[in-house]
Amino acid sequence: MRNKWIGKSFATFVLLPFCLLMAFPFVWMLLTSLREQNTIFNGPIIPRKFTGVAYKDAWTSIDFPLHFWNSVWITSVTVIGVLIFATLSGYAFAKLDFPFRNTLFVLLLTTLMMPSTALIIPLYLELKSLGLLDSQAGLLVLYISGSAPFAMFLMRAFFQTLPDELIEAARVDGGSELTIFRRVILPLTRPGIATVVIFQFLSTWNEFLIANTVLRNTDALPLQPVLFTLMGQYSTNWPALTAGLTLSVVPVVIVYVRMQRQFVAGMMLGAVKN
Amino acid sequence: MATALSRQRVVERAGTRTSYRFGSPLRKSQRVAGYLFVLPTFALFLAFVLWPILYTAYLSLTSWGGFGSPRFVHFDNYSRMLHDPVARRALIVTLVLTGVTTAVLTFLGLVTAVLVNVIWSKVGVVVRTILFIPGIVSFVVSAVLWKLIYDPNIGTLNRLLGAIGLGSLQHPWLADHKTVLPAIVVVTVWGGLGFNMLIYFAGLHSIDPNLYEAAEMDGANTVQQFRHITVPSLRIVTGLIVSLGLLNGFKAFDVIFVMTGGGPNHGSEVLGTYLYSLAFGSTSGSIPQLGYASAFSVVTMVLCTLAVIAQLWLTRRADR
Repeated sequence: MRNKWIGKSFATFVLLPFCLLMAFPFVWMLLTSLREQNTIFNGPIIPRKFTGVAYKDAWTSIDFPLHFWNSVWITSVTVIGVLIFATLSGYAFAKLDFPFRNTLFVLLLTTLMMPSTALIIPLYLELKSLGLLDSQAGLLVLYISGSAPFAMFLMRAFFQTLPDELIEAARVDGGSELTIFRRVILPLTRPGIATVVIFQFLSTWNEFLIANTVLRNTDALPLQPVLFTLMGQYSTNWPALTAGLTLSVVPVVIVYVRMQRQFVAGMMLGAVKN
Repeated sequence: MATALSRQRVVERAGTRTSYRFGSPLRKSQRVAGYLFVLPTFALFLAFVLWPILYTAYLSLTSWGGFGSPRFVHFDNYSRMLHDPVARRALIVTLVLTGVTTAVLTFLGLVTAVLVNVIWSKVGVVVRTILFIPGIVSFVVSAVLWKLIYDPNIGTLNRLLGAIGLGSLQHPWLADHKTVLPAIVVVTVWGGLGFNMLIYFAGLHSIDPNLYEAAEMDGANTVQQFRHITVPSLRIVTGLIVSLGLLNGFKAFDVIFVMTGGGPNHGSEVLGTYLYSLAFGSTSGSIPQLGYASAFSVVTMVLCTLAVIAQLWLTRRADR
């Protein structure tokens, strides 16, 4: 018993300073966003006076609300689109029997190892020839097609945990496959859907490379590319810059804290099945 | 755990593979529904994943500035790569950054998971959240944040060093060839640690506690238990973490693009940033080199494929 106590104390003793280091950049970000611009060069590291003026700067000067809503809109449509594609195909791969099922599945999984860094050139050219360059529609198509296979993989792992007897019984009762999917399966899918939603939300909200490449029209831009340009624009106005960063992080932290349980569960599902 | 997993897999396969009988109406409606349900995802896959892969492979054999039609040049782009010092630098930096980051992330992930597993569970929840939050913000946010921290003139790192009397260590961290790569490793580890810690943490919980009890009765100490039970039991998890680390390393772009743009003087150039500047131009007015850039796309894809194959191979070996 005493031994255990020593172990716990030792672990805490090691972890606490480490946690402080890990948390430091965020604490610093908050402190900087709340200080006065003229104190960043020689003021104390922890400011004596706090002010919210930087948030007003960031909010008004770069049209923050516009880009914020662009991000909300793009993320929402992507999440819904990915959900539709992934539940349908994930269910088919988990519970329906058809020829070449495994071949198609493995083919789709190759998407997971093809990074957008490597595909950005052909994707850019493809959107250009489709006339979808510089439009949010084009961005959405790329987001949904790039993410659907991973979400399909998660949903398939989830559907596999549902008992076959459920579907068999519905078939014997004469339900068509679509009816079974809608009436029997979908109502049971909420935990799986929650997992996909949070994963998709985080990855779409945070995506930078594709958005920065295929959208040149500034009014259509979501937040991440705007934060990048903000860095150049406000290279010395650190309070406004860090205020912008903080504002962009708020939705992510809220969603994560509220859905932490599903997130961890989903990671386990993905990790174990992998 | 390995045998339990593989047994579960066998059962799973036996369960889902129903015998396929032609002609049965139930089977036929399943077949139709199966294809219909898969079709939308697969169509997107063909148009926006498979086609781009093939197209970029083709482009890598051409010379093209974006106007007119691509000129076929065989493997010229690849031989040019061998003689291009920046390309060589980018490849080496990619491999070094990937290797070091993966090693550090795997090691620290395991250590923090074990420590979090040991401490009081209420403290553990807080620690887990603190370690994980850096992983959920975007790479752009973390890169901008760390760029400010590393700033040579008013950056917090230099100011802190000055404040505690270590002013001699002050440094233009991102502008020096020697420090730019370690500085990038720090940012990547900061962002990726929570994820690895959490996967290891789940892995620890799947180890049979009886193993430890038996070992304790046999008189094994904590270190021996760690070496002979914990580490071997986590082999599959480690394989996953290593291969994800390799994948993330090979495709690295955001953090470096935002923090250094590949500088100073290509000091932190990786495959991703180099192909991006070749295709989309770091200097305005230069002609895009889409063929040459595509060759780097192909190299990146090959590296990523190798990482996945290595993981499958390792998992299969651990399964036996």
